[in-house]
Amino acid sequence: MSSLPSTATTTSPRGTAPEVVIRTDGLIKDYATGSRFRERGAVRALDGLDLEIHRGEVFGFLGPNGAGKSTMIRVLLDQLRPTSGHAEVLGVTPQRGGPGLRARIGYLPGELMMSGRSTAGDLLAHLARVRGGVGTDRIRPLAERLTLDLDKPIRGLSKGNKQKVGVVQAFMHRPELLILDEPTSGLDPLLQHEFLAMVREAQQDGATVFMSSHVLSEVELVAERVAIVRQGRIVDLDDVATLRHHAGQQVELAFAEPVDAGPFRGLPGVEDLEVDGAELRCLLRGEPDALLKVAARYRVVRWSAEDRELEDLFLDFYRVPVKGDEEVAHRGH
Amino acid sequence: MATDTPTRPARSDRAGVLPRRQGLAVTSWVLRQQRRAVVGWSIALAAVCAIYVGFYPAIGDQDMAQLIEGMPEGLVQALGYEGIDTAPGYLESTIFSLLGPALLLVFAIGFGARVLAGEEEDGKLELELTLPVDRRRVLLERFLAMVVQLLVLACVMVVTVVSMVLALDMDVMVANIVAGTLGPFLFVLAMGTVSLGAGASTGRKAIGLAAGAGLAVASFMADALAPLIEGGGWLENASPFAWYLGGEPLTEGVHWAGFGGLVAITVVALAVALPVFARRDLGV
Repeated sequence: MSSLPSTATTTSPRGTAPEVVIRTDGLIKDYATGSRFRERGAVRALDGLDLEIHRGEVFGFLGPNGAGKSTMIRVLLDQLRPTSGHAEVLGVTPQRGGPGLRARIGYLPGELMMSGRSTAGDLLAHLARVRGGVGTDRIRPLAERLTLDLDKPIRGLSKGNKQKVGVVQAFMHRPELLILDEPTSGLDPLLQHEFLAMVREAQQDGATVFMSSHVLSEVELVAERVAIVRQGRIVDLDDVATLRHHAGQQVELAFAEPVDAGPFRGLPGVEDLEVDGAELRCLLRGEPDALLKVAARYRVVRWSAEDRELEDLFLDFYRVPVKGDEEVAHRGH
Repeated sequence: MATDTPTRPARSDRAGVLPRRQGLAVTSWVLRQQRRAVVGWSIALAAVCAIYVGFYPAIGDQDMAQLIEGMPEGLVQALGYEGIDTAPGYLESTIFSLLGPALLLVFAIGFGARVLAGEEEDGKLELELTLPVDRRRVLLERFLAMVVQLLVLACVMVVTVVSMVLALDMDVMVANIVAGTLGPFLFVLAMGTVSLGAGASTGRKAIGLAAGAGLAVASFMADALAPLIEGGGWLENASPFAWYLGGEPLTEGVHWAGFGGLVAITVVALAVALPVFARRDLGV
């Protein structure tokens, strides 16, 4: 029997593999396109996706729009059935798990569609009722925390306020797995901060969090590991720091007088070097030491180094037209 | 799988626990959203019924008899006006075989197509279907919401017609008015369920609308044209519209076989839609 009581929810016993909460093996999902009146075809939204997410971790699922993020999430929630391959959530396939499985999940849709004259409070009470009343007592405190007015009609709510309704209903029943699709879109920075705090608290509570996004900055503050998905495949899977290292920084230096590009060329970590008179621009990965030491030979009048956005990282992947595993190799470690 | 893991997190003890005391949460939520619509339809239905019953004394039996005499026999049959020169015949020809079902049909087919496929297309169903509730239950609870609303509208019809008949002292049996309303109710419920089922099976509101409205129109045409066609009896027998009018409920009372057929349409539409809706991809 394996029903010994345990408080170890975030870490597994030494020497054993961590408990897998989400597992996909070669997950493929094709959508039919066209109709019987037009030419039929299929679009492959997921193209052999392999993923393992462990209990207690916050996992970022990153990719541009249309990469298959929402498709993956909708397979996990049994909205879509895989064309082939295998998905397992909390040890059971989404289809077999059914309502009992979904009772343990909190889900925030990427695009939350709601309307009607009912108030936000009524809708949340209704959702809690379908959950058998679980979480009803948390609606008010969560709404206060996110400054959501429960007495306003849903159809009058702004995008940000609708998003708050979505966040409350995803968290209210203290689910052991949170699946959040583009969670902070529409939330102002202050609320994004509050939301990330809620994610951390859920994690401390033992919850596993799977959040998708198309911006790294949205997940890098809370996620430990991040997968980058492109055209339905995982092209990179790393901890956030490594990914950040890969992303590099966009460096700009301005000198007092025009400089020669020569000494800067071929420095470790320096890529995409551009020297235009007294201005130098480059992409820097890793330590800035070598670059700074060469730059110090001249008089530097201005400098900036910005973390690159994930969009740029995607562009890196896109301009390297190689397939599958080679891409990961190209990223280098 | 790691079945030999010595300990499992305590949270897993809740595995697969279905919510209790869910009640008919989905039905009651849909009905709440529909409150205004049902009130509006009730007022319209009551007004139309009251106006038509109210016309009867003004027109009178004699005028009606003269009207029919002046019409070609085929037209009279197509319109179902054979018995219009009696009070029950008048009610049947106007309210129970034409305006009542027409109004209720518009409501039922529209609601049936919208309440599942329409909401799915709009993305409003997504949240509900990710809750711990079986898809089939969602479909059935939404069907139930349609039944409840149609019952309310049917009651409005009965109450309006009965009050007018009593007020005008017309020669119609109250029990037969109830029987006469049961027919349109079952017919409209069947067509609405076809809409709901076709929409649920395909996820397309337009297909739901087309299925329900198409079947209703075909039924009506078959019933209206059958008497005009040599040997068209089979056509009439095949028309669900004729099933509820066949027995002439306002003069003869309930026509059980026809009503059974209408209930069968409803049951079959649900029985086909339930497994398809449970199996297919949602919102694509």
